[in-house]
Amino acid sequence: MVSDIKKEFLQNKENKIIKGNEAAAYAAKSSRVQVISAYPITPQTTVVEKLSEFVDQGLMPGTQYIKVESEHSVMASMVGASMTGTRTFTATSGQGLFYMNEMLHWVAGTRLPIVMAIASRGPAPPWNIWADFTDVLSQRDTGWITSFCATHQEIYDEILMSYKVCEDHDILLPKFVAYGGFILSHTSKPIIIEEQALVDEYLPPLPDEKGWPHIFIDPERPMMFGNLIMPSGFYYEFRMKIHETMMRAKEKIMIAAKQFERMFGRNYGNGLIQNYKMDDADVAMLIYGDLAFQMEEAVDQVREEGYKIGMVKLRHFRPFPVEEIIEIAKKVQVLGVMDRGTAFGSPTGGPISSEVKTALHNTEKTAKILPMISGLGGREVTIDQQKDQLKILIKMNETGELPKDLLYGTLWHGKLEVK
Amino acid sequence: MTETEKIIEISFHGRGGQTAITASQLLAEMAYEKGFADAIAIPIIGAERRGAPIMAFTKVSKHKIIRTYDSVKNPDFMIIFDTSLLEMPRIKETIKEGVTILADSPIPINRDGLPNNIRIFIVDATGICIKRGFMHSSGPILNIPMLGAFGKVTGYYDLETIEKVLKKVFGESKIAKNMAVARDAFEEVKEVK
Repeated sequence: MVSDIKKEFLQNKENKIIKGNEAAAYAAKSSRVQVISAYPITPQTTVVEKLSEFVDQGLMPGTQYIKVESEHSVMASMVGASMTGTRTFTATSGQGLFYMNEMLHWVAGTRLPIVMAIASRGPAPPWNIWADFTDVLSQRDTGWITSFCATHQEIYDEILMSYKVCEDHDILLPKFVAYGGFILSHTSKPIIIEEQALVDEYLPPLPDEKGWPHIFIDPERPMMFGNLIMPSGFYYEFRMKIHETMMRAKEKIMIAAKQFERMFGRNYGNGLIQNYKMDDADVAMLIYGDLAFQMEEAVDQVREEGYKIGMVKLRHFRPFPVEEIIEIAKKVQVLGVMDRGTAFGSPTGGPISSEVKTALHNTEKTAKILPMISGLGGREVTIDQQKDQLKILIKMNETGELPKDLLYGTLWHGKLEVK
Repeated sequence: MTETEKIIEISFHGRGGQTAITASQLLAEMAYEKGFADAIAIPIIGAERRGAPIMAFTKVSKHKIIRTYDSVKNPDFMIIFDTSLLEMPRIKETIKEGVTILADSPIPINRDGLPNNIRIFIVDATGICIKRGFMHSSGPILNIPMLGAFGKVTGYYDLETIEKVLKKVFGESKIAKNMAVARDAFEEVKEVK
């Protein structure tokens, strides 16, 4: 007998039990990407491995698969490919992302809608290959739209939504789609691979021979792109336009999520954030990535004990959902912000908690914010630990006091006990 | 929590090259194919090499969505690809009251130091693989016979389901050999007191 919950999820669609990395590869295939550039790095490697299989088996006709010698060259070749007016895709992790850094700025400055999956891992040393979002969050100012995925299905779905947003002629910016290394990249769950005809209908058409509206490459008429511009030139204005566009992308992200739900039946909040049991909550946790999925279970279990607690899943970090966060902070009494990543020397030590505090700087009467960090370098965060984290917030609400063991205002939860 | 709502947790213990990681994935597929509401396969990956102890987990649930990625600490079932691993303290200490062990072994397992209230099943998966020539470059491919035996022990899926999933994953060409070892193990697995 098939349970109702399974029927509701599957909607009679094709499903596969696959790894998060394979979900990313299937999304690239469904999006009919035209150029893939690849260099292996753990834990991303199986994304580009799966894509090379698809190309080899002839399942992605017309797709160019480029093997290069480093991540820097991956992104350089993506720039070249995208400039000719093609839909492009790649994936990386941790140190590979850092090696690309120079070209990441180049992509956003050229306004190329490249989409890149990131199986996030902790920066070395000590050498680390497990979930930690410091890699993608440290690329904060490169001009890439940045999103996190909490489930295997969300990786597939988010990549589709990404092309919708990035290739919009009013946006033309690149995007990171990040998910926890190993926790999502190498575990397997059932996911739905959507019918090609539906995906084609959802996505914008592939660019034609005219390419993107702002760039046109013609070998008969060689031209220079991105060359030196004097301080009196338009550099300043170009930079402002990127920021303006990034802010405008919020609306496009919301529209893409709404259209996605209409077409495929899966809801991702307003696209920027997704609330869970927030209607009557007076205490809440803001959290992102895989930990957000587990936190739903922890919230339900703590609610069974009679506490009105909720959760906000942060889906986009750039652009940052300022208005949504102000609204939440005005509604609840205590808001925990859980980071899986570090921003050394920032106001809180956590990349997202610093942002949340900044977002609220001009707003009066908001919740008390408790910056928290857990799961660095892939350290396991169990549901019991997450329940403890929620109880810390509940206690803070009841007593009005901050927890005792803070480090510069931030609670580092789940440390090894030093004997 | 009622019995039907419980998430069933399975741990796999083997050595690099014994195909336990793939077993955790295939088990998720077989349970899901047979009608379970959700399944997740969780390999524990570091820098393992051939012969090093490795772990993988599968969680399956009949009626609810599994909303966790964390590893299995208190398994309901332990599938042991190499009985020498049972001597390792960190594995031995996860053997708690009520657990069911399925081990690749031609002879009964030494129960010394194990809790009383556990069930032990054995199947000579290595022997089956050697007899059927079901080998890869460095040894027998144990996952298929172990999963065949596990289907019999639990009743979570049958030979028909195994065939369906293996066809989907590995294609038609290798199905006969795979099913031969799965069937042998399904028939030969037995409980030892």
